[in-house]
Amino acid sequence: MDTAGILEVRQSFDDAISDVDNLNALQQLKVEYLGKKGKVTGLMKEMKNLSNEERPEYGAKVNEVRTHITEAIERRGEVLEEAALEEKLREETIDVTLPGRTFSLGSPHPLSRTIEDIEDFFLRLGYEIAEGYEVETDYYNFEALNLPKSHPARDMQDTFYISEETLLRTHTSPVQARTMESRKGRGPVKIICPGKVYRRDSDDATHSHQFTQIEGLVVDRNIRMSDLKGTLELFAKEIFGAEREIRLRPSYFPFTEPSVEVDISCFKCKGAGCNVCKGTGWIEILGAGMVHPNVLEMAGFDPDEYSGFAFGMGPDRIAMLKYGIEDIRHFYTNDLRFINQFKATEDGGATNESI
Amino acid sequence: MKVSKEWLNEWIQIDVPIDELAERITRGGIEVDDVIDYTAEVKHLVVGYVESVEQHPEADRLRICQVDTGDETNQIICGAPNVEADSYVVVCKVGGRLPGGIKIKRAKLRGEVSEGMICSLEELGIPEDYVPQEYQNGIFMFPEEKTAGSNALEALLLDDQVMEFDLTPNRKDALSMAGAAYEARALFGGEVALPEHEVAEKGTDGNGTLEIKNEDATAVPYYGARVVENVKVAPAPAWMQLRLIKAGIRPINNVVDISNYVLLEFGQPLHMFDRDHIGSARIVTRYAEENETMTTLDGRERHLESQDIVITNGREPIALAGVMGGEFSEVTDETTNVVIESAVFNPVSIRRTSSRLNLRSEASTRFEKGVSHEFVLKALDRAALLLEQYAGGTVSTPVISDGALELEDTTIDISEQFINAHLGMSLTTEEIQESLSKLGLKATAKGEGLEVSIPSRRDDLKIKEDITEEVARIYGYDALPSSLPEYTKITPGRLTDEQSKVRIIRHQLESLGLSQSINYALTSRRKAAQFSGPEDALELLMPMSEDHAVLRKSMIPHLVDNVVYNRNRQQKDVQFYEIGKIFISNGPAVLPDEEEMLAGILTGDMNRTDWLGTKVPADFYAAKGIVESIFEKLGLEDDVRYAQTARFDELHPGRSADVLLDNEIIGFIGELHPKYAQQNDLDRTAVFEINLDRLLAVKQGNIVYEQLSRYPSITRDIALVVDESVAADTLVRIIETAARKYLVDVFVFDVYEGGNMEAGRKSVALRLTYLNKENTLTDEEIEKLHAPVLEALEESGAQIR
Repeated sequence: MDTAGILEVRQSFDDAISDVDNLNALQQLKVEYLGKKGKVTGLMKEMKNLSNEERPEYGAKVNEVRTHITEAIERRGEVLEEAALEEKLREETIDVTLPGRTFSLGSPHPLSRTIEDIEDFFLRLGYEIAEGYEVETDYYNFEALNLPKSHPARDMQDTFYISEETLLRTHTSPVQARTMESRKGRGPVKIICPGKVYRRDSDDATHSHQFTQIEGLVVDRNIRMSDLKGTLELFAKEIFGAEREIRLRPSYFPFTEPSVEVDISCFKCKGAGCNVCKGTGWIEILGAGMVHPNVLEMAGFDPDEYSGFAFGMGPDRIAMLKYGIEDIRHFYTNDLRFINQFKATEDGGATNESI
Repeated sequence: MKVSKEWLNEWIQIDVPIDELAERITRGGIEVDDVIDYTAEVKHLVVGYVESVEQHPEADRLRICQVDTGDETNQIICGAPNVEADSYVVVCKVGGRLPGGIKIKRAKLRGEVSEGMICSLEELGIPEDYVPQEYQNGIFMFPEEKTAGSNALEALLLDDQVMEFDLTPNRKDALSMAGAAYEARALFGGEVALPEHEVAEKGTDGNGTLEIKNEDATAVPYYGARVVENVKVAPAPAWMQLRLIKAGIRPINNVVDISNYVLLEFGQPLHMFDRDHIGSARIVTRYAEENETMTTLDGRERHLESQDIVITNGREPIALAGVMGGEFSEVTDETTNVVIESAVFNPVSIRRTSSRLNLRSEASTRFEKGVSHEFVLKALDRAALLLEQYAGGTVSTPVISDGALELEDTTIDISEQFINAHLGMSLTTEEIQESLSKLGLKATAKGEGLEVSIPSRRDDLKIKEDITEEVARIYGYDALPSSLPEYTKITPGRLTDEQSKVRIIRHQLESLGLSQSINYALTSRRKAAQFSGPEDALELLMPMSEDHAVLRKSMIPHLVDNVVYNRNRQQKDVQFYEIGKIFISNGPAVLPDEEEMLAGILTGDMNRTDWLGTKVPADFYAAKGIVESIFEKLGLEDDVRYAQTARFDELHPGRSADVLLDNEIIGFIGELHPKYAQQNDLDRTAVFEINLDRLLAVKQGNIVYEQLSRYPSITRDIALVVDESVAADTLVRIIETAARKYLVDVFVFDVYEGGNMEAGRKSVALRLTYLNKENTLTDEEIEKLHAPVLEALEESGAQIR
């Protein structure tokens, strides 16, 4: 039995494959040896010239070569594919430090952020958010709040009048009166009223003829002043940090009696005295009090059965204190360099101190 | 109200430092705004006796004074024109200091030695406004003899600190030294000593010299007067002048000063008339007649109205009650006989008159809050006594009066339970009584509760809640416990649907690159007319400026301002949105329609990536895309249509659309008119304004889930040639109407004009998607559906390619 042809094919294949350096050449080689007219197939054709005894051995040897060639081509193929991929990856390599495709992000207004934080706190306490008119009647802005026309406290607020009976609201308190009226004398009422208000002030660093206010109102049977203190204490800790304390100072608002100003311990110096609290350790942040019986009565609540508390605060002032904003006019100038500073999310901070 | 500690100590002894005093008063409810310390920065100030004054040989304006400063006589060069020999002055000695960091050194002025400085009041830190006229532009000289070398701050009563009370309108009781003293007593204890006010009448001119008549008891419930004769008008004593100065009142002369001094003591304004110039022996008070006129002591003629109260001599006004005296009856340097008025006037009338005439004074602010009846006569007597003591007068009559004072205490019934239930405290009756007694309010047991007596000086206390407040503030809010409400019913807190959607819209717009803007609602008339219909804007009665005179009718003009502002600060790409109200007038006397709008403005490019050269132009289609994404989020995209519009002159007529929700206009999208853009120095800028109330009024309910179709959808593309004026939306609607069923989507995927297109024509390519959710659509079925669509398009004039 002549197996020299088999060896020759194997030898020539081994010589050829070592020169193959691309997948095309490999494919050609595969056809040359394993194709229908290929060299290995040619060897098989020699079988017919052999005796029956010799055929199995010869066949086995040809198959051995076929396996050898098939495996070698596969191995070579893998190596070449790997190299081609490497080349492709090398070609596709980019500078990852270049900026990504822009998907511009706008920024919320700092006042909106502040108001939303405060809203969320009171929502968690079961309050609703009530809204009202920015142009109000004298009745709802003043009279229903125990400020009759001759009341000297009307001097406290300079009002933009539109006519003798209509005006730009000077506070969000008319929403209180309207909400209470709509409840037809039935409690509980638990609302906060955020919104824009207007005063006849010349605009400067600390005054704005338009600003925002958030008013809160709770009316039910057995509402006590201690409930007001507890609620505002919780508020101070939630919005200004867990270590905050509050103190109440007697004050005056026509629509509450007793009335208090509420100070929080300074979040910057923790009460030691600094420029934010003007050295006192305390920052005035809220006006509050127990709803005046006249206000309850005018809105249809029986003051012998119901009592309530109310409070009001200025998001402009709170945002100015919180972020150290030096000029209230920034809120209404809409300078992108200002507004864009309030883009990122905020959290409690590492020590759960919001400020 | 400025309260001097030295003066307060004369009423009630308080032995705490000023800081503690101010803090306790603030915590008690009267905010001490400021403390003026006249001793700060001052050193070595003594009383000097000017022995001689000579002209400086080298300088016209300087004098050489020899001044006895106690232990020695110093030569002091003085530039003041009024320095006189034989006078007592304030000297800052060598080594001394004055406010403003001035140090006094030995000096040579034009060759003459000067050892110290003779001081003016201004140099001691007193504002010029309060310095008496005779000492303005010169040094201060004591009107009486002093001891040379003694402490000048003490002699001037400036060894003192003054608290500035920022009083809330309800605390009129503290508009006097008496009130300050009672407040201090409530906080510190002790007793209040009223100043001497007993007066002995010893004149010859007895009863009947003056007759008083109040014609209207609602105008003037009480009018009292005394006649003081033979006064000599002169400067008041130094201590009185300085106390007035510290309180912020400029001394004039002894008669006027005494009237102001007593006003500060008791909070009771007085008026001094020249007895001999009243013009009669009668004082008649009444409401003025309409169109009556009088000349007030500032020389101005005043036109009176029927709500003004006048003091008359029976014929004509001699004073505008509580507001200002009349010209001919005022006290002058020649006055010898004085009528002191101490009265109660209708507070509302005084308030109206003083605010109408813009004449707010120490007197009118007190009258308009109501004076304390218990002090009306004390003040009258006190002033008479001081005129005797410091103006050489003789009190010639008893009090002459008409009307009645309410001197009886009023009462308020209250109970321990009421106070505790309102405060959330558990005070005992004794604790309540003690707190009230500190305020001088007597609380006696009555039945189950307490009866609280209210003297007239605290007639601001009217209801039970007022007493609750007094107890709480004197007991101290630090003792108030903290609790949370115990509601009768638990109700959840939640945003309304509308409030939730507004938050979602805001966050979506921010994610799309728009920043939030907040603008003023007040604007100029010119801007109010822009991007808006012809209706008049709502105007303010008294605007502060032309820029803020009317309420906005569109938010776009201020957003344009925002863009201009930012473009001027090197920001090229500016995109803003604003949510706020516009105001549609229903006439000034009734409330307007307030409409919540969602507005936006885009200029420059969006999503700009410079190094890749990619960007989204901020044009009409960018604005429309943003608005569409909002409609999609709100589930309204199928209910909204757009129609070309030329409603507003400020918008590009070819690049503006009305936005219609269920065929009703709810807003617009457009690019600025090139002319308007140019006026504002802007390039292409797109805006939108949508009525948010209308959007939020559509209720969506829950999402309706549909099972996914198991059958494939089939698409068919149509290429059309149409007139360039044919809107894409028109073609879509023709297709939607013609397709009988299974058409689930149709959209334009290509528009082509120019090139080899015929002029005035354009090519539009649309893709239609058919789907039968229950079965596979066969080609035959599709053809049956699609053929009528093509027919309808051809009928409309479209040429199918």
